[in-house]
Amino acid sequence: MKTIHIVALITIAIGIAALTMQAKDVATYSNFSEAQKSTDKVKVAGKLVKSKPITYDPVKDPNQVSFYLTDQKGQEVFVHLLKPKPQDFELSEQVVVTGEMKGEVFVANEVLMKCPSKYKDEEIYMKKNKKE
Amino acid sequence: MDIQYIGENLVPRTIGHLGIVLSFVSALLASISYFISTQKRENQPLSNSWRSLGRWSFGVHGVAVLSIIAMIFYVMINKRYEYFYAHSHVDDHLEFRYIFAAFWEGQEGSFLLWMFWHVGLGAWIILRGDKNAWESPVIATLASVQVFLSSMILGLHFGWGEHIIKWGSNPILLLREANDAPIFAQADYLEKIKGSAKGLNALLQNYWMTIHPPTLFLGFASTTIPFCFAVAGLWTKRYTEWLRPALPYALFSGAILGTGIMMGGMWAYEALSFNGYWAWDPVENMSLVPWLVLVAGIHTHLVARATGHSVRATAVFYILTFLMVLYSTFLTRSGILGDTSAHAFTEMGLEWQLVLFQMFYVVLSAFLLIKHYKHIPNPVKEEAVASKEFWMFIGSLVFILSVVFITFTTSIPVYNKVLGYFSEIFHFKKPNFTAPLDPVAHYNKTQLWIGIFMGLISAFAQFLRFKEFNFTSYKTPYLKNMGIAVALSAVLTGLGLTWIEATAWQYKLLLFAGVLVLVANIQYAVTFLKNNPKASGSAVSHVGFGLLIVGIMASGINKNWISSNPFAMEGLVNFDKEQMGKYVLLMKGTPLRIKDYEVTYTGDTSHNNQRFVTVDFKRKDKDFKTTLDSFTTHPYFIVDKKTGKLTQNPDTKHYWNFDVFSIANLPAGEIDPETARKEEDSLKYIHYDLAINESFKPTNQDKLTPQYSIKIEGIDKNPTHPKYVPEEKDVALGVKMVLTDEKGREFRAMPLVLLRGENIYQLPATVNEIGVRLHAEAELFDKLFMPEKELKFQSYTLKEGGSVTINGKTVTIAGVNPNAVPKGFKVEASDLKLGLQLNVKAGDKTYQAEPTYIIRGNSPIPVRDEIEALGMHFVVSKINPNDKTFVLEIAERDPKTMKIPIAIAENAPKTDYIILEATVNPGINYVWAGCIMMMIGLAMAMFYRIKQS
Repeated sequence: MKTIHIVALITIAIGIAALTMQAKDVATYSNFSEAQKSTDKVKVAGKLVKSKPITYDPVKDPNQVSFYLTDQKGQEVFVHLLKPKPQDFELSEQVVVTGEMKGEVFVANEVLMKCPSKYKDEEIYMKKNKKE
Repeated sequence: MDIQYIGENLVPRTIGHLGIVLSFVSALLASISYFISTQKRENQPLSNSWRSLGRWSFGVHGVAVLSIIAMIFYVMINKRYEYFYAHSHVDDHLEFRYIFAAFWEGQEGSFLLWMFWHVGLGAWIILRGDKNAWESPVIATLASVQVFLSSMILGLHFGWGEHIIKWGSNPILLLREANDAPIFAQADYLEKIKGSAKGLNALLQNYWMTIHPPTLFLGFASTTIPFCFAVAGLWTKRYTEWLRPALPYALFSGAILGTGIMMGGMWAYEALSFNGYWAWDPVENMSLVPWLVLVAGIHTHLVARATGHSVRATAVFYILTFLMVLYSTFLTRSGILGDTSAHAFTEMGLEWQLVLFQMFYVVLSAFLLIKHYKHIPNPVKEEAVASKEFWMFIGSLVFILSVVFITFTTSIPVYNKVLGYFSEIFHFKKPNFTAPLDPVAHYNKTQLWIGIFMGLISAFAQFLRFKEFNFTSYKTPYLKNMGIAVALSAVLTGLGLTWIEATAWQYKLLLFAGVLVLVANIQYAVTFLKNNPKASGSAVSHVGFGLLIVGIMASGINKNWISSNPFAMEGLVNFDKEQMGKYVLLMKGTPLRIKDYEVTYTGDTSHNNQRFVTVDFKRKDKDFKTTLDSFTTHPYFIVDKKTGKLTQNPDTKHYWNFDVFSIANLPAGEIDPETARKEEDSLKYIHYDLAINESFKPTNQDKLTPQYSIKIEGIDKNPTHPKYVPEEKDVALGVKMVLTDEKGREFRAMPLVLLRGENIYQLPATVNEIGVRLHAEAELFDKLFMPEKELKFQSYTLKEGGSVTINGKTVTIAGVNPNAVPKGFKVEASDLKLGLQLNVKAGDKTYQAEPTYIIRGNSPIPVRDEIEALGMHFVVSKINPNDKTFVLEIAERDPKTMKIPIAIAENAPKTDYIILEATVNPGINYVWAGCIMMMIGLAMAMFYRIKQS
């Protein structure tokens, strides 16, 4: 076996190892009870509680918005996000916050959201099925 | 029954349709002719006659493609909205300089752009002459690609059982052919659809969009040429001969595609809100991937030319480059990316056609490679571990690793789709993998190591020699050179780390790798290339690569949010630097100290569908006393025509060593009409009818609102308002008001009431200092445009300069103005106008009015003017050209009886602030400089190789 083949094989091995590492990133979310135990920052996916108030008063502090979020296990937690309120936040279907629990409050410094327009196709699909 | 439509121009349609059919047929004919010419290459005369048929066909194909493009431009430039493409991509407001951007906004336009470049490249190859019999196999392959691309714009529909198969999308369809709506049953539909054209997406109305897409598509198109040569080499069994003519094309492609990608980054940085040049968006990724494979191919190509090794790898890489371009086309144009990408095209029903396009070339390439692989010469003697070719090959593998990592994640929607099909057949749960939450962190994690390895390998390999057979004798100078490079780089990295705040050791290592490749290549150029500077393309490119890494590190790690207010965070428990706010609130006119800067939000202006805010920056010294530098930025917003929502756009101030990036946000009610409506609904308005120039003190409902008085100063018939974008035929009235608070401070405000078509809109004005919002009420129209019969006019016949006194007020005709611009009246170009400039003296005050007499065609239109303060109305009812007299009608009404209807609400939300995000981005220019050097290096290498071959 040539040296170059050995190196090529090593490269492939490294590649596979890195890919498995990469594959782990494919969306796994934590929840609030796990966040409570963790000392690191975690990502929690949940739904915005639209019946409860979303507080954002930029005149007071442009870097703070608070709202309630239900995680995938159904636990509802008060979230304190240290960012301005994103555009169309109220319309969001799914919200992912990155941060940590401080007492009973989840303090987040990153937010990602998915808007309903992106689910349009599925919604139409569901409507069709219902009719039939 | 056929309808005779009014106003359609069907000539472009006829020419365009002919062009489309012709381009498809002639590409097919060219491909077949060249194919036969290649197959019959043993029989020279026969081969040549097929070749000339191929040339003619390709020529016809080129003319056809150009004529389709010309027709589309014709209908777009002339705004022929009977054409679907024009209706979808331009509108009356679109400036001419964005016409190109509008052309390639649509899928069809960008397919044509791609075809255009293929035609150009093919013509270049044909016109250069066929010295070594490469023309036939190369153009046969190129023309076959054109067959597929032409089919994308064929626009044929045919039945397949119950299904209708759509084959391509025709860009020169009429609007009524592309849509089925009752309006198209009317002969004059064109008149009726006026103003419905969709126009160009606001984000694409940017000069980068004029130059980025054509460069990128020339890049994509040019990857086809090395592919064609690789195919030609295998096909005609000239397994190594193709390498020499193909090399300049590969280098050209590398330079152009790279430039196109870089321009995309520049556009994103200048025009998008995310404050960066690369976001690992699927569309970005899929333009980078072919370039990475191509560059891997260029490296093995150089190895193959120098040593005879890696010929197979080169063929595989060039074929893979082209296949990745096709895969990229499939991903971005099939609609499969859906929500994972910000700028993919939407679905057009061409998915299966795109799949077929890809599969054809996958199968063809696989067939050729499998059939010929064993015959491709490969030296028996293996390359030495200390040779340049060995490490260049390893470097190419690192490129491919990078490609695999990027493609793996970008293809997630494809896995869902493919597994989705199988799930229906084999009845398992439909998978739903989602893209990583934080794509930047996800990709950086692996690409960081790619960067480190590429940097180290390219530095250590540069000093190695090709075909090394005696490294022991070369060992000493090699180690000496590398020792110097490593030592120097270590020192420079140390220095760099005092500037770049990299904390993680991986980042430090990457920075070292970047500096090392930079240093080693400068050293290499100085030591080895001084006698042959023309061959220094590789050194220049690699120095650029090193610079790029340094730039990425500096701009990424050292990005400094100056828009944070450290004082606001004091006293917070567990204060964390990372959690410090990145945004500050700026009240209009109030300077704020942020880090080294003093910033002030000074103004707000509207222009067409854009709204600009003005932010003054002053950089201060340590004691915050002396201003070192001051500049202004204009972050702006684009108003979406359909929803009325505003989207943020940044503005960047450039210096040679850093940028100041700024982006603003407005109060929610200003950004989103829906929120504004909710806000308005929650306010309690009280209606008042106020006389002009009379001070009035409203009774406050709310104790928090200070006492104030309000006075209406008059009506403005050409009003401005931050939210008002004037349109033709609008009638807008502004009520000029002045509010005075207890301290005697005066605040001016002008709410608007607007009549557009049959709708009346109110645009309120807010006086933030008092906290009131003011409305001009719709009844104002009735009051102001009081029917003429309700006024009692008296006629006076006067000459220019003549005057008349009525109730102590003297009216003088001061002048005659043929260029009069009557307020609130739409003048046409053919109108004859005559304005009477009146001076009215009442007591010690003089007022002006200008009633205008307009002749349109044969009928006169007198346009009234009034002086509200006096309650006087003027009309010119007749002009006597013989004795140069004018009949002036004057009516008077007590101004106190003219009451202006307004409404006032207290506790109005504030509107006079912005939320600012501003960062200092150091080293961003190293990113651009590094990219540019890489491209220059590739171009230098190209010219060097053209001379050689």
